[in-house]
Amino acid sequence: MIKIIKPGIQLTIQDLGRVGFRHLGVSRSGSLDAYAHIIANRLVNNHDNDAVLELTVGLCELQFECDTVIALHGADLNAKLDAQAVYPGWSYPVKAKQTLKFDTGRGGSRAYIAVKGGIECPEVMGSKSTDLGAAIGGFNGRALQSDDIIKITPYTQSWLCNKGALTPPKRKVIRLHQGPHHELLTPECINAFCTTSFTINPNSNRMGVRLDHNNSQIMQHSLSLHSLAVAPGSVQLPPDGNPIVLLNDAQTTGGYPLIGHVIEADLHQFAQFRTADSITFEFVTLEQAIAAKNKLDAHLSQLKLSLNRYWAN
Amino acid sequence: MSTLPSIKILTNSSLLFDVSHYSEQHILATQKKLWALSQYCKNTNEFIDLVPGMNSLTLYLKSASNLYQWQNTLTKLWDEVDDYAFESQHHKIDTYYQGDDLHYVANYHQLTIDEVINLHSKEIYHVLFLGFVPGFPYLHGLNSQLFTPRRDNPRVSVPKGSIAIGADQTGIYPEDSPGGWHIIAHTDACLFDATASTPCLFKPGDTLEFVPVKRNK
Repeated sequence: MIKIIKPGIQLTIQDLGRVGFRHLGVSRSGSLDAYAHIIANRLVNNHDNDAVLELTVGLCELQFECDTVIALHGADLNAKLDAQAVYPGWSYPVKAKQTLKFDTGRGGSRAYIAVKGGIECPEVMGSKSTDLGAAIGGFNGRALQSDDIIKITPYTQSWLCNKGALTPPKRKVIRLHQGPHHELLTPECINAFCTTSFTINPNSNRMGVRLDHNNSQIMQHSLSLHSLAVAPGSVQLPPDGNPIVLLNDAQTTGGYPLIGHVIEADLHQFAQFRTADSITFEFVTLEQAIAAKNKLDAHLSQLKLSLNRYWAN
Repeated sequence: MSTLPSIKILTNSSLLFDVSHYSEQHILATQKKLWALSQYCKNTNEFIDLVPGMNSLTLYLKSASNLYQWQNTLTKLWDEVDDYAFESQHHKIDTYYQGDDLHYVANYHQLTIDEVINLHSKEIYHVLFLGFVPGFPYLHGLNSQLFTPRRDNPRVSVPKGSIAIGADQTGIYPEDSPGGWHIIAHTDACLFDATASTPCLFKPGDTLEFVPVKRNK
């Protein structure tokens, strides 16, 4: 068991998401930084899809009621296990009654805590992920609060692992597939989109990241489209000219023009941007997008290989 | 419908099959073909999700390596697919026509309450697609005499089960949500229950009708 002392801004149970129900209007949910999620799980020899805790910005405190092993990944939010500093990318044995406490940090927004064996909760529509909008999955369909108790299976064997994983660098240039509505938008609008520096609006959340900029007049439009499917990574351009990058909790259909789609390899970056961070966009070819994904996948495979070799010994 | 469908690559693992440029006259006929196309694709077991929009279908592939193959096959499939191949379910929705905006809608159109109820309940509606929240159906079939501009001030919370009209559409709210449509009625039907073996009452392509009932005392 883990007792939540302080949840911080938003603490939720997430796996890699709920799929197969988008035609019914059900969002994916799941860890926003799927890459950090997978690495954290691999560091404790879990399955990739095991449920983890996603915490936002820090100021969170948990008490373990049993022995286990944990790994952190994603943002470095200056965590301490009792008095000992613990770092993203490493695994740590934990004893019952120890406390894991997060301060804040400057290096990102969301940290992932993988616990040996995964966080236990009932699967809803094939997933343990918390869908905050539909109020399903995770812990009674909601974010965790003080005094909530979540279930884990104790792990009492000794744990020694001197292998760690790197945190991927933050990108300032986000790569995109060209959107299906390019020809409907003016060349000036597309050009402004590619040359403008955007800042992350504080009204961003698990549904989407809103972007502010100085060229919104050029990017304004009055297009009204038939609703079509949208997905995490879709970049919508509402009439006010301020783009929205949709994330995992976004609804499944929308009527705004789609100016692009963030490539799979870069989408996890949006989990970590903080208010006022600035980014630019760059359109890439399908081949470049696939190459970027292969590079990330290779990094994950390498980690798996290296850890497997370690555990086999 | 001689225009060609537009097929666009969205990402390395998703495609947009778009026929929204087809005539507005044929929205329902076009959508029926899309449901049949979606059903065909589903049966291949090669897709994570197949999501219809308004006269479009977005295909999310399990394996990115099949992207070009599907891009090249879809037009041919579209020509071959039979819109009657799609099997839909018909739902009768018990409807209490006592919504807070029923009088407003009647006054707006200079109709009596009974005329509004009659116009709304005599049609068979098609679930074009779902979205907004789980189980929310975008319906086709609202009588044009009931088209009503959305409220100037959206409600912060529209109660679950509300049946409402907004512009040229009518719909049912599966859960308490904000909304700018005019509430004309309610139903006790459950549109979304994540724990049920069939979580959503409606799926794309289903038909429904609103059956007026009086609330017992």
